[in-house]
Amino acid sequence: MTRILKSIEEFEGEVSESLVIVDGHDLPPARHDGGSPEIGRSRRRIDATQRVTGRARYTQDLYLAGMLHARILRSPHARARVRRIDTKRAEALPGVRGVLHRFNTPKTPFRGDDVIFREEVRFVGEEVCAVAADDEDTAREALALIEVDYERLPHVVDLEEALGDVAPQLESDGNVSESGSHKRGDTKRALKEADVAVDVTYRTSTQLHNALETHGAVALYDGEMLTVWESTQHVFGVRTGLKNALKLPYSRIRVICDYMGGGFGAKNGVGKYTIVASLFAMRFGKAVRCVLTRDEENLAAGNRSATLQQLRLGAKGGRITAIEHTSWSNSGQGKWIANPTGPTNTLYEVANVNTRSYKVVTNAGSLSAFRAPGYVEGAFALESAIDELAEAAGVDPLTLRRRHAGAGKDPITGNRYSDKHLLECYRIGAKEIGWDRRRAGGTRGSAPHRRRGIGMASQIWGGGGGPPAYATVHVDPDGSVVLTAGTQDIGTGTRTVLAQICADELGVELDDVRVQIGDSAGPFGPMSAGSMTLASVGPAVRLAAHDAREQLLGAAAGVLETPKAELRLEAGAIVSKGARTPLGEVLGKVDNNTVIGKGIRFPNADDLAQKTFSAQFAEVEVDVRTGEIFVERIVAALDVGRIVNPLTAASQVEGGVIQGIGFALSEERIVDRALGRVMSGNLEGYKVPTVKDVPTIVVKFVDRPDRRANNLGAKGLGEPPIIPTAAAIANAVANATGARVRHSPLTRARVLEALALAGIRD
Amino acid sequence: MNAFSYVRPRTLSDGLRLLRSGASALAGGTDLLGLMKDGLARPELLVDLTGIEGLRGWSRAKGKGLRIGALTPLVELEEAEELHRAMPILRESLRDAATLQLRTMGTVGGNLLQRNRCWYFRDQATACWLKGGTKCFAVEGENRLHAILGAHECVAVAPSDLVPALIAYDAEIALASSRGRRTMKLADLYVAPHGRERREHVLRPGELITEVRVSESALARKGAFQKAMERKAWSFALVSVAAAARIERGVARDVRLVLGGVAPIPWRVVAAERGLEGSGFDEAACAEAADRALQGAAPLRDNGYKLPLARELVRRTLRSLVV
Ligand SMILES: Cc1cc2nc3c(=O)[nH]c(=O)nc-3n(C[C@H](O)[C@H](O)[C@H](O)COP(=O)(O)OP(=O)(O)OC[C@H]3O[C@@H](n4cnc5c(N)ncnc54)[C@H](O)[C@@H]3O)c2cc1C
Ligand code: SF4
Repeated sequence: MTRILKSIEEFEGEVSESLVIVDGHDLPPARHDGGSPEIGRSRRRIDATQRVTGRARYTQDLYLAGMLHARILRSPHARARVRRIDTKRAEALPGVRGVLHRFNTPKTPFRGDDVIFREEVRFVGEEVCAVAADDEDTAREALALIEVDYERLPHVVDLEEALGDVAPQLESDGNVSESGSHKRGDTKRALKEADVAVDVTYRTSTQLHNALETHGAVALYDGEMLTVWESTQHVFGVRTGLKNALKLPYSRIRVICDYMGGGFGAKNGVGKYTIVASLFAMRFGKAVRCVLTRDEENLAAGNRSATLQQLRLGAKGGRITAIEHTSWSNSGQGKWIANPTGPTNTLYEVANVNTRSYKVVTNAGSLSAFRAPGYVEGAFALESAIDELAEAAGVDPLTLRRRHAGAGKDPITGNRYSDKHLLECYRIGAKEIGWDRRRAGGTRGSAPHRRRGIGMASQIWGGGGGPPAYATVHVDPDGSVVLTAGTQDIGTGTRTVLAQICADELGVELDDVRVQIGDSAGPFGPMSAGSMTLASVGPAVRLAAHDAREQLLGAAAGVLETPKAELRLEAGAIVSKGARTPLGEVLGKVDNNTVIGKGIRFPNADDLAQKTFSAQFAEVEVDVRTGEIFVERIVAALDVGRIVNPLTAASQVEGGVIQGIGFALSEERIVDRALGRVMSGNLEGYKVPTVKDVPTIVVKFVDRPDRRANNLGAKGLGEPPIIPTAAAIANAVANATGARVRHSPLTRARVLEALALAGIRD
Repeated sequence: MNAFSYVRPRTLSDGLRLLRSGASALAGGTDLLGLMKDGLARPELLVDLTGIEGLRGWSRAKGKGLRIGALTPLVELEEAEELHRAMPILRESLRDAATLQLRTMGTVGGNLLQRNRCWYFRDQATACWLKGGTKCFAVEGENRLHAILGAHECVAVAPSDLVPALIAYDAEIALASSRGRRTMKLADLYVAPHGRERREHVLRPGELITEVRVSESALARKGAFQKAMERKAWSFALVSVAAAARIERGVARDVRLVLGGVAPIPWRVVAAERGLEGSGFDEAACAEAADRALQGAAPLRDNGYKLPLARELVRRTLRSLVV
């Protein structure tokens, strides 16, 4: 019976309620007895061969016949009014097809603005014009011929400058606005009554995504359909963005993302480049390609906000009694912020908590979601501060955390966790790193002037996923299977794990399943973000496979003239009393029939909180005279429910840890304050970790299904592994040296300064 | 990138003839092509030197020292075992220079003449002093990577790792142009940009480096090189230190100390060298030399950390000559 149900979902720290149309019933939790043929098995990615042979087609690889090339002219000023634009010389250049700008472009609503080219441009890199030309070079040349009359306006790019009185005020109500708060108990009193307290300020610098594939789209319009290939984490989100911007119905927009070179949160929806490509495509009836360069990527494609965070913590009798946390985030021109106080509000059971977070607008590129937005920045501050408190209180920092990590309920909503094994993560991680070797004050390193230390940090995050998400399983008469699902593989291995779930539930070989995803022509699915893909789409796939299997067994019962109850489907064959008949043979009898199984994601329980938990342990050496940090080992112990594919799961963890190491040690956007320009706009200046920066990473999963979360018992894993890394490293550095670096990344300058402050270096 | 012509001559004399105004020599292209793509170099003609006989490879004739052809790829210097025995500092200084791919393409001559990495310089949109503008943006801007010593109008730093190592061995370069040949000390190739001299070296238009030479007596020195980076690979030096000396019965002679990454030119510190002459590189002498090396340092807003870092690297590099 079709009906409407309520569901509670969490997306990147925000909880919301939604309504879902459902039909039929969900499956009971999948078995977890080690007998599953696919689930829980390490499988090479099913698209590995396509990828490594270069056949996999990414958006950037797409060159269609007669395609035009669009390029964007970007503001060289941090803030200016665009008074006049003269495109005569550009348009006279042979090969130039057209120019779009604020005076000739129709209204195209985009993220809260009603145009894509604003009158007042507000950061270096903001879009001013777009050119379409027959080839890329001509388009680039044309940009240089456009004359723009800018009226320059005072600007501010730096977070702390923007907070000050003398900074230009960018919004009518100032640069600073409160964006969230939480209060429980009475922190003032608790701090007054505390035996020990710490009052510390942390900073985190802006991190840039720098996915291997830059943002970009290719649009094609045939007079009826607008087809857009885009490097995106959400084909349906791009579709919605285009619908709003171009006023086309869903039925006339198709968005495709076949293979994708990473997004990390920055590709969650439509971009101005998508709209530009589409507008030109619709005007000229041709394919138009608009793909950003690395430089543009680092100016205008999002970032993890820089933060300033103040924490006050109190302890009494060896327990944390109070946490106050105030945070300011540089959102650039973004209209929201990722909340760094999220972990403070929910990670530990602490009676008195008071947090507040502020959005600060500046004339810098806008934030976008970035792998656990807010929580990475927040965990760096919170988990560093907890160590500082433990040190002040003379308590082992892991012991202190254990005292607060056992709660079974979400402290804000009071809802029970669907499952939680954080203490188990501590146990596994501590054993693996050898926590009992840790000494207050660190130990001697492997060379003179080198100190060795161990640190840890933990994490809470969503990852429960939720509806709506759909899948269908078609079984053709030869027994081959096509799984279609509303999702896309952004490089995480989604294709592979969905195929595994399908093969497992259906009873066919993995090789027999072809996965069709990344296409808005199929059924809807959520964005591949918020660690929710597997937990959202996986259960729908299981249900679709189950539905198909039931139909197949019914059909087989008819063909084989055997009661359905005596039949099983295993490894692609119908098994009956020891006799195996290949599925193709059975279905051959009903040639050209197609069996279609259907699956949806059922709602989440509205009285449970689905969370992921983990802890990371870092062992480092620090050269106390040069400030160089050597990360030797990271142990990550995670509770993310059931593990579908240990191999792809471990690769998510390794990737998260590596990106966390970048955030901790070397990745930092550098902006000239006077010019407003990003100076570290390429991969020479912006330092992502190299293979030599990557330590031994040990990945451990608790691997217990969360039976109350969904019918798979699996939760998300994309974001948890980046959250605690930087704090674990900073804590290890402090343990090794006695010097506390309160600003990530821990560059030479900051480490040397902290060492000097601590009196360790002359 | 602007349109340009390309030629690949076979002989040095053809090459020299082709290098008229508007032409640029092309070796591995790892620096020049980047500059061209960013609109910072706009040659009309590229004269590819890689086809010229006799400019590639190295030799060591008995008693005649070492000769390294300017077109020798960096990776060859790094990998040749015989060279490593003769002058281990080459491998040491190149090991962490750029990446293996870049060292495979990049040549010795190109490394010597690579342009600075100041991010304002490399940013096409910024018309800084070195590019003919009126002001240096780094002085009051983002200068964590910039000079603490010896700067005038421009505070960019000498980027090469190889050059300090070669200067510690008193390397000379052989130059050729259509007007003739000359040699000079490698150290004299470099100038700190100042006044009307808005460039990093004194190579004349149309002139090529053909060879780098290290004398037999210099090869008797022991050398050491250290480099501090922002990450473990593929990073220019925050600070690099090359040191060399002849050590006779535990006593240092012909001491050389050259720093990279701290000044607009490879920063040789004669005062520190003199102080070490005759010493045994004991802790105290090395520490004193480290202090001398940084005398007169004038850090900017964000690069003060280079002082303690350089001091420690100098001390360590010197100590490593004897321990
Ligand atoms: C990302 C990156 C990282 C790097 N990191 C480092 C590092 O850590 N340490 C380091 O030392 N270097 C580093 N480099 C610089 C690299 O070593 C140089 O780019 C390389 O050595 C240049 O050699 P090339 O043959 O490619 O020169 P080209 O690019 O061909 O030429 C460079 C310049 O030299 C001129 N030239 C070349 N040969 C001659 C000649 N024989 N006579 C006269 N003029 C000549 C050219 O006209 C041009 O002006 C890095 C470079 C890059 C791109
Ligand atoms: S340091 Fe030199 S290259 Fe850099 S901005 Fe100043 S003048 Fe230009």
